[in-house]
Parts: sequence; C-alpha cells; structure tokens
Amino acid sequence: MHFLAYILRQTGKNLRQTWGTQVMTLLTVTLSVLLFAFFFLIYTNMLRASARLGDDLRLIVYLDQEIPEQKRPEIEKKIRDFGPVEKVVFVSRTEAFSRLSAQLDKEKDVLNDLGPDFLPPSIEVYPLKNLHDLTKISQFSDFLLTLPHAAKVQSGSDWLRRFGDFTSLLQVVVLLSGVLLIISMTFIISYTLRLTVVSRQGELEILRLLGATSAYIRLPLLLEGMLQGFLGSSLGLAALYLLYQWIASRFSGPGFLNLFDFAFFPPELTAAILLAGVVLCTGGSLFSIRRFIRI
Amino acid sequence: MPRDASTDKPLVELVSVTKIYPPDIVALEDVSLRIYKGEIFFLTGMSGAGKTTLIKLICRLETPTRGLIEVAGRDLSQISPAGIQRMRQKIGIAYQDFRLLEKQTVLQNIAMAMEVTYASTKAIRARVDELLALLNLSDKRDKLTGELSRGEQQRVALARAAANGPSLLLADEPTGNLDPAATELVINLFRHLNEKNGSTIVVATHDKSIYAETEHRVMDLRNGHLSAHPNRTPRQIELFEA
Ligand SMILES: Nc1ncnc2c1ncn2[C@@H]1O[C@H](COP(=O)(O)OP(=O)(O)OP(=O)(O)O)[C@@H](O)[C@H]1O
Ligand SMILES: [Mg+2]
Repeated sequence: MHFLAYILRQTGKNLRQTWGTQVMTLLTVTLSVLLFAFFFLIYTNMLRASARLGDDLRLIVYLDQEIPEQKRPEIEKKIRDFGPVEKVVFVSRTEAFSRLSAQLDKEKDVLNDLGPDFLPPSIEVYPLKNLHDLTKISQFSDFLLTLPHAAKVQSGSDWLRRFGDFTSLLQVVVLLSGVLLIISMTFIISYTLRLTVVSRQGELEILRLLGATSAYIRLPLLLEGMLQGFLGSSLGLAALYLLYQWIASRFSGPGFLNLFDFAFFPPELTAAILLAGVVLCTGGSLFSIRRFIRI
Repeated sequence: MPRDASTDKPLVELVSVTKIYPPDIVALEDVSLRIYKGEIFFLTGMSGAGKTTLIKLICRLETPTRGLIEVAGRDLSQISPAGIQRMRQKIGIAYQDFRLLEKQTVLQNIAMAMEVTYASTKAIRARVDELLALLNLSDKRDKLTGELSRGEQQRVALARAAANGPSLLLADEPTGNLDPAATELVINLFRHLNEKNGSTIVVATHDKSIYAETEHRVMDLRNGHLSAHPNRTPRQIELFEA
C-alpha cells in the first residue's frame, strides 16, 4: 500500500512549491492562536480569582467603641435575624493590635510608638456563600451600619464589583479575539490553499486527464491545512507558555500574580485549544477545496 | 491480430453518436462504431474531420450531443466522476497537443501516470526506463520536456500513455512530428503493447505511411461521417463488412 506514502509526498511537494506563503500562513495562525489564548488565559485566571475572592468575602463593621462581652450575643442575634451568616467574630482593640503585629512579624517595631489602642474594635461578619450577590451584600452592609456604635462598614463589594466588571469586559475581549481567530484562520488557510491550487493548476489538470482520484488530489491539500493548524496552534501555545514562564519568573514573590495564583491552562484545555486550531484550519482547507477543485 | 467481429464483445462501442460544439459546429454526425478487444484500429481523415473529437468522446473529455458510448460494456453517461477517473487509469491517451508539464522532467511526466495508480517508485523507474529505451529517449530521461524537440515531446507523450500497460491506448496523431525512423519505433511500441499486453490501440492519423501496409482496420472520417477507408485492402474489406 503506497497510498499514504503518495499522499505525504504530494503534501510535501505542495508545501515546497509555495513555502514562502506557507511560512506567512504559519505565522498568522500562530499569532491568532497566541492572541486568543493570551486573553483566554487571563480570563480563566480572573474567573478563578474572583471565585476565590468570593470565598474570602467578609464584611467588617468598625466600631467607635468596644462592645462588652455580655452584650455580644444580643448583637450577634440581630445580625443573624437579618440574614444567613456563617459566623460572626468580635475583634477587640487588643486583638486587632496583636493580629497586626503578628502580620508584620519582623517589622513590628513600627508599632511600638503607637500603643495597643490605635486600632478600632470591629465585628467581622462572614455571610453564607449564597449571599454572594453584590446587591444583597450592599443591603447587608447598609443594615450593619445601623448597629449601635457602628462607624463604618467595609464590605469590599466596591472592589468586587470593579473586579466583576473587568471580568465581563475581558469576556467580551475573549469572544472578539475568538471570532477574529476563527475568521483569520479559515480565511488565511483557504487563501493559501488557493495559492497552492493555482500554482499547481497545470499539474492538477494533467492529473485529471491521467485518472487521478479525488483522494489523490484532495487529501494532500486537506493534510496541508491540518498540518498548518497543528503547527500553528502548537507554536502559538508554546509562545504563550514561554511568555507565561517569563512573567511568572519576573514577578515572582508577593504581588499580583501570587494574589491570583496565576496558572497556565490545564492540559485538557491546552489540548482543546490545539484541537480547535486543527479543526478550524482543516475546515478552511475543506472549504477552499470544494470551491476550487472540480475533481 | 485482427479479430472475428461477430463473436467478440466490443471494447468500445458508439451508437449513432452526434457531437455538436456550440453554437452549431457539427464535429461528428450519426457515427456508429465498434472497436474490439485486441484490435489495432486506424482512424483517418482530413484536418477538422472529427478524429480528436471521437477520441475525446471515448475517454469522456467530451460528452456526446446524442447517441450512446460504451466502454468495456458500460454506458459512459452512467459512470460516476470517480468511476471515470478509475477508467482513465486504464486508458492511455497520447494527446495531439501532448499535454506535458514543460517544467518537469521526462521521468516526472511519465511517472505521473503511474503515480496516480499508487505504483511503487521502483516499478515506475523500471517501466520508464523500459519505455524510454523502446522509444530511443533514454538519454533524455532527466531533461525538462520543455527543452525537447517536438518529435521528442511526442514520444514522451506516447510513453506516458503506455506507462500503465493500458487495456486501451488512444493515440491522437502520434507520428505527426516524427521522421521515418522514429515512426518505426512508435509502430513497434504499439505492436509490443498489442502483442505482449493485449492492449487495444486506436490511432487517429493522417500519416499514410503507418496504415498503408497494415492488415488492421482503417476507417475514414469525412465531415463528421464515418466510412471504410477508400483504399482498403481485400483483407480489410472482409473485416469491415463482417
Ligand atoms: N472545443 C471545440 N469547440 C468548438 N469547436 C470545436 C472544438 N473542438 C473541435 N471543434 C471543431 O470540430 C471539428 C472537428 O475537430 P477535431 O479536432 O475533432 O478534428 P480532427 O480530425 O482532430 O482535426 P486535426 O486532424 O486537425 O487534428 C472542427 O471543425 C473543429 O473546429
Ligand atoms: Mg485532431
């Protein structure tokens, strides 16, 4: 069975005959995949980060005066009556101070001048997970402000809202770059294939006269598109991975990336993007084969 | 090897075939013809008589305006495009205008015919060398066909047509550019294919030298009508009238 050998040899011949265009096509496919995967990577990380932030969400009620031990159950009951709450923690001035100095660890000397009373007491309210709706949270924080001695409520919901807005903006960018990816890939592949067909027109005509089957003529072209899709997507993903590694190594240590626990795509998602690239390019070549070849 | 027409099934059969090119050029009119397996068949006629048209109809490069064409017992109009391609692998055609790829070598041009049948590289090499030796072209194997003389190109076209050992060889004006010595080589190739391979051979020509002495059938096309060649031998009369 020399069939496969023929198809492969024919594919190689096609690639050699139009190699300049082939390289440009490969670059275009690579860049398209890189662009899309870049935004997609940021997006998936943002999604994960916002899920984590949601887990950490708590409402802090700063008080202008310490609440004595015996009055605490009463206030806690008031809070629980308003809405479902996982837990309520009362933090006194001294507790707040010792927490901060534990956090500062070696630099806790800076606190020496301030004395243990400079931090306000507070109540930390951890809402149940089902309360992670932003409007409900802001209702909750409005309510908490009505508690006796409440001076200020920090809900983090502003920040969460901005984060959410950014995530949905990113969603649009991902969608757009996805559409761009689909268009540019199918377009460039079918354009390149047309060039191949045109450059081989005389040969294709003779092949038809000699009785070449449609598999003999079409499969190499299909394979060409498939190969472009595979190589282009692999290169695009590889480039993104290198970029990711570079960023991760430069910004290692405490900071933005650590906060979000920035991570590369899991293997399945990488494979899915690769597969999508192959499918798109194969589709593009199928399209132009049907348009430009009559056999 | 002439055949007894009454018992053999024809390999090619045309029944009342008319071919009109648009708008109204009548190339063939009501042509009926049977060509038998193993026959060498000469088709003569002046320029414009319709010889090339008839050959193109047999390999379905053209479709008849009216009438029926059967090859190996199958109605061509009923065969799928894929079936036609498979059929063409078994029919060798040497075109009047050669249809060679001028930027490829003699070897590559001939090899193409065998490559579409997925023949092995080794088999292709051996066959090409054999054919080139038969046609006295061995030293031209790696030359681009565009750099060859017309006579040489003509023989390359013939070699390509013969490459697969076709059961039917259609040669359109195969000796138009050849001197007597080269013509002899071509006749020998036909004989070789016919005897060793059992190939049926159809030769369209107005070169009297190749059919004058033949004992095979010669038919004449004139203004799209087919008739026995006027100068036929008694043997040919016998065959034609059978
Ligand atoms: N594609 C075509 N379109 C229109 N007319 C055509 C076409 N091909 C051939 N003809 C006409 O049909 C007639 C027969 O042509 P054909 O080529 O079959 O002749 P021929 O016998 O092969 O001539 P020659 O000996 O010069 O090769 C001619 O009048 C020619 O002009
Ligand atoms: Mg002709």
